[in-house]
Amino acid sequence: MASIGQIVEQTPSSEVLSRAQARAALVPDCMVEAKRIANTVIAGWHGRRKRGMGENFWQFRPYAEGESLSRIDWRRSARDDHTYVRDREWEAAHTIWLWADMSPSMMYKSTFAMVSKESRALVLMLALAEILARSGERIGCPGIMEPVSARNAAERLAAAIMHAPVTTGLPETAMIRGQSDIVLIGDFLDDADSVMSRISPLGKRGLRGHIIEVADPAEETFPYTGRTEFTDPETGEKLTSGRAEMIREDYQRAYLARREALGEGLRRLGWSFTFHRTDHLASEALVAVHGQLSGMPATFPGGRT
Amino acid sequence: MNALAFANPLILFGLLSLPVIWWLLRLTPPRPKAEIFPPLRILATVLKREETPAQSPWWLTLLRMLLAAAVILAIADPVMNPRASSLNSAGPLALVIDNGWSSSVDWERRVETANMLIDEAESADVPVSLTFTADTNNEPTAGTASAARDKLAAAEPKPLVPDRLRAIRTLQEALDGNPLGTVALISDGIAAPGDNDAMTALAAFAPNDVRLYQGEGRGAVALTGATNNSETMAVTATRLDTAAPQQLTVNALDQQGRSLASGTVDFAAGSGTATAEISAPFELRNDFARLSVEGLATAGSTHLLDDGFKRRRIALISGESGSDFQPLLQPLYYINRALSPYADIIQTNTADLAVAIPQILENNPSAIIMADVGRLPAETYEPLERWIARGGTLIRFAGPRLAAAPADDPLVPVRLRQGERALGGAMSWSEPQSLADFPTFGPFAGMPRATDITVTRQVLAEPTPDLAERTWASLADGTPLVTTRDVDAGRLVLFHTSAEATWSNLPLSGNFVEMLRRVVQMARAGGATSASAGSESAAATLPAYRLLTADGLLSTETSGVRPIMIRAGETPSATFDHPPGLYGTEDGFSAVNLLPPGAELAAFDPAPIGRAVTRESLAGGEAVSLRPALFAAAFAMLILDSLIVLFINGAFSRLPKGSRRRSGAAAATIAAVAFGLLAFQPHPVSAQEMPEGSGAKAGDEQILEHLDTTHLAYVTTGEADVDRISEQGLEGLTEFLTYRTTLEPGAPVGLDITKDELSFYPIIYWPISANAPMPSQAAISRIDAYMRNGGTVLFDTRDQYSSLGGGGSTPNGERLQQILANIDIPPLEPVPENHVLARSFYLLTNFPGRYNGSALWVEARQDARNSANQVSSGGDGVSPIMITGNDLAGAWAVDQQGAPVLPTVPPDDMQREYAYRAGVNIMMYMLTGNYKADQVHVPALLERLGQ
Repeated sequence: MASIGQIVEQTPSSEVLSRAQARAALVPDCMVEAKRIANTVIAGWHGRRKRGMGENFWQFRPYAEGESLSRIDWRRSARDDHTYVRDREWEAAHTIWLWADMSPSMMYKSTFAMVSKESRALVLMLALAEILARSGERIGCPGIMEPVSARNAAERLAAAIMHAPVTTGLPETAMIRGQSDIVLIGDFLDDADSVMSRISPLGKRGLRGHIIEVADPAEETFPYTGRTEFTDPETGEKLTSGRAEMIREDYQRAYLARREALGEGLRRLGWSFTFHRTDHLASEALVAVHGQLSGMPATFPGGRT
Repeated sequence: MNALAFANPLILFGLLSLPVIWWLLRLTPPRPKAEIFPPLRILATVLKREETPAQSPWWLTLLRMLLAAAVILAIADPVMNPRASSLNSAGPLALVIDNGWSSSVDWERRVETANMLIDEAESADVPVSLTFTADTNNEPTAGTASAARDKLAAAEPKPLVPDRLRAIRTLQEALDGNPLGTVALISDGIAAPGDNDAMTALAAFAPNDVRLYQGEGRGAVALTGATNNSETMAVTATRLDTAAPQQLTVNALDQQGRSLASGTVDFAAGSGTATAEISAPFELRNDFARLSVEGLATAGSTHLLDDGFKRRRIALISGESGSDFQPLLQPLYYINRALSPYADIIQTNTADLAVAIPQILENNPSAIIMADVGRLPAETYEPLERWIARGGTLIRFAGPRLAAAPADDPLVPVRLRQGERALGGAMSWSEPQSLADFPTFGPFAGMPRATDITVTRQVLAEPTPDLAERTWASLADGTPLVTTRDVDAGRLVLFHTSAEATWSNLPLSGNFVEMLRRVVQMARAGGATSASAGSESAAATLPAYRLLTADGLLSTETSGVRPIMIRAGETPSATFDHPPGLYGTEDGFSAVNLLPPGAELAAFDPAPIGRAVTRESLAGGEAVSLRPALFAAAFAMLILDSLIVLFINGAFSRLPKGSRRRSGAAAATIAAVAFGLLAFQPHPVSAQEMPEGSGAKAGDEQILEHLDTTHLAYVTTGEADVDRISEQGLEGLTEFLTYRTTLEPGAPVGLDITKDELSFYPIIYWPISANAPMPSQAAISRIDAYMRNGGTVLFDTRDQYSSLGGGGSTPNGERLQQILANIDIPPLEPVPENHVLARSFYLLTNFPGRYNGSALWVEARQDARNSANQVSSGGDGVSPIMITGNDLAGAWAVDQQGAPVLPTVPPDDMQREYAYRAGVNIMMYMLTGNYKADQVHVPALLERLGQ
């Protein structure tokens, strides 16, 4: 009998990009519900409710000595004896960091799944980049791409990933400053405590985070029987079970307990946690995260949170 | 005696399970399916291993069986040489315990042995009599076991040589002729005077059973003497166990117990005495207060030094008053220049010798130097002679006046001829004479021949039979240059030439300094003893000042000790009435040491008792347990087994394909070598055993690691929670620094200030805690040295709010005062407004921690007047000390998650942020020194440069 799971090749960025764009087309624009906007000078769509650079009218105020004459709003000034200056609302962009785990364990694909976990994670990341860039947000990827505010951010991210060296583990996050959002996509198979210990310093620094756990159905249902030797694709560690079906329930309990613990820890941190299985449609996760990002969590059954 | 016994013999039934283990080991499962499974770690938590290899080879099974057997045997705890004895129940048990000086090293074991014997006596229902050989009042009446135990618990080792005869006499009186059952001598193994009589007296009891318990004699090493040579101090040591060569370090300690210098005693195999040379500068040797053998704390291994080793006080008298305009023609000028580095010089302010000499004698100098004094006033001879007889040293230089003096002068060492002898010159055939080799005796022995000295004039001694042996230096033609004579405890020395450069060029030579120094060194330091006593009864009665404890330390407990009579020139030794210690007063004291000079330790011989003596060793340490060896063997087999399993499972299969065949043999070799190493190398190779040529020392790597990156450091107070907060606090500050600044410190280091090297750390955080043990004097002086060398200590009393109430100082504050009492600290001030600390990174106005309100105290800056010509201080302008009460570490402390550990008071996140900023500023101030201060002046500097 052929084995259930296998390790597949890394998915090419271009293929993932086209799939991601197809998914992104199904999802409406996403304006991140940025409660706390960083003090960036880059123009964006988040009104700061104070005067500054922007497009929308904010207030008229009397002209003060020394200001440039060109800023006088002559139309308003003509109405009475005073000269007025038109102020605009300061509109700033919000920075979203996206990151997908590309470690060997993500290359796993079982016979029950449509694609490998890595392929699904990339699709999710690029689709999010596409949607967010459409809304004028700044998109960055820790360790791979500095934040850019561009309409073609998803293409640039895909190109950057193609040239980036293979990384494992959670990314180096020292460059993330101020009040931004971060979206981490991966399988988070380490025990919850070690994941939390990596993540919580980020939370303490004021970052708002969204975690998407991508899992293969075989990992959740444990469809193995008989004497089986299991191999960890990252460490090469081997483990042999005499009768695999005997430990299915124990395993499932431990697996779900880990997810519960992780979700609980993230909730305490104020981060959102989305779970996604590779035998489901990518759009489900996309919609769920969209809701989390825009501050309107999905209530329909498709998105599991 | 090579009996083997098991502590838990029932465990041996476990060996019956070996066949079952054999059967289990032979089971084999089928080959598994291979599956890749990323969440293996989760699976591992639920999967119990139930594996055995398919066909384990018979030798592997055998190895595992041996492993199991070794573990079972080890648990059964086999013991070699078990102790077994039974008391003779015919009469009382007499315990004669040596509690002399050498017993303090293994006193616990002696008490244990005695307790064991008392236990046996109790079970045999035999009365017990206890005698201590170094105690003055024994009550060796046979009593109950519990009374004996009380007595034993109250006994302690004494800093004395045991007197066995006296103890056995007391025992005789107490027993009143009753026969004894068992006599047990718990001996220190050192022969003492009167042993023969004591053993004969013991034989009179006709005991049925005589046992002798002896330790290994590890403590029986004693220092018996110390002599001050010109370059070194020679220390004589003796030991009891002469079999093996032995190397001991002798430390010279000062009054405060600080180690000043050390030397090594090297006992050759078979020799019982050896000498150590402690080389130290003369000035340092003056500060030696006692010598002690490192690692041994007994009264015998400590040798007390009195002020015979001190810096000398020397009076100078000149025959002519001279004129101050021509100092080079004055004899005292050269002597003064030669001696002032080594001695305290007293000079008279009057030329009247009748007034000057009594004045000088009142000062009680060690030596008096007279340069060209011919005749003294008659009334001064008598006190001078008395002073010499009591131990003074009179050094005279010749000159025209002395040459003209009458020949019967009692204060010259040899009889002189009238007039002087001139060598060389227009009317003489003879040449100026140079010096002959120095003789091998006297103070100048060992000095190289002085080739640069020529003598043109001298006074001549009348030849006498003993002239040669009283001559310390002579000219090439054999005429004496320096002669001496002992007068009672004192000494007369005469230089046969003048002290200025007219008669010879001796005073211009470097040898002059050396010769004078050596002569002065021979003089008694305290001058003549006790000026009040008459010339004949030079003995002084001195009360005890400090006494030596059995641990070789000095204590002020001097009750019950009689004053000692010390005669000049005698070296007293300790008795029961006069235990070793310092006798006298603080101003001057004599040392009484345990063993007389030249004493040697001999083994105690109980032969005169005239019957068979059962020798046994002390309790503890001699019954050899085989358990560690068995566990070690099991562990070695376990490692071997792991290697074999790795090999069988293909862990070595990553070798190239071609060498796969050979890899089997290689692995077997590795296994064999590993086993061989484990089996035949009981001592693991430690860093100390590295080859000498490599130059590496133990701890080098750690030092390099600490040098590579800056580390924050804190003082471990010994209180767990304080130390934990310190570590977490510095951890938090380290994180903050890494995140905010270019400084990326390594992990914080907890320092034990008594021994860790401090110089690697720019700043040491010291949380003061009144409950922690007070750091030792040595530790505080290390901190002082650290601060002096440019380090900074941040003291944190952490009591800002507890001090609000009365305004009095808090316990922590008092502790800080105690610590600082012995440190040389500069004047302090709260950080002023424009101090560098307030602007080295962030602009700060105050320095909060968990509390806010306590000022941060730093070294007060020089006021403006002085700052212009101020030379830069050692620390580059950085304050060596900072004191706060705000509990900085408490505010910095973060846990594993990066969350704060303690709340700030009041709970304010900004205050915590400011606390971190204060920490950053302090670190920047530490690391940049006055660079940041200079930055303030950059505009002014640029302006001055005309830019």
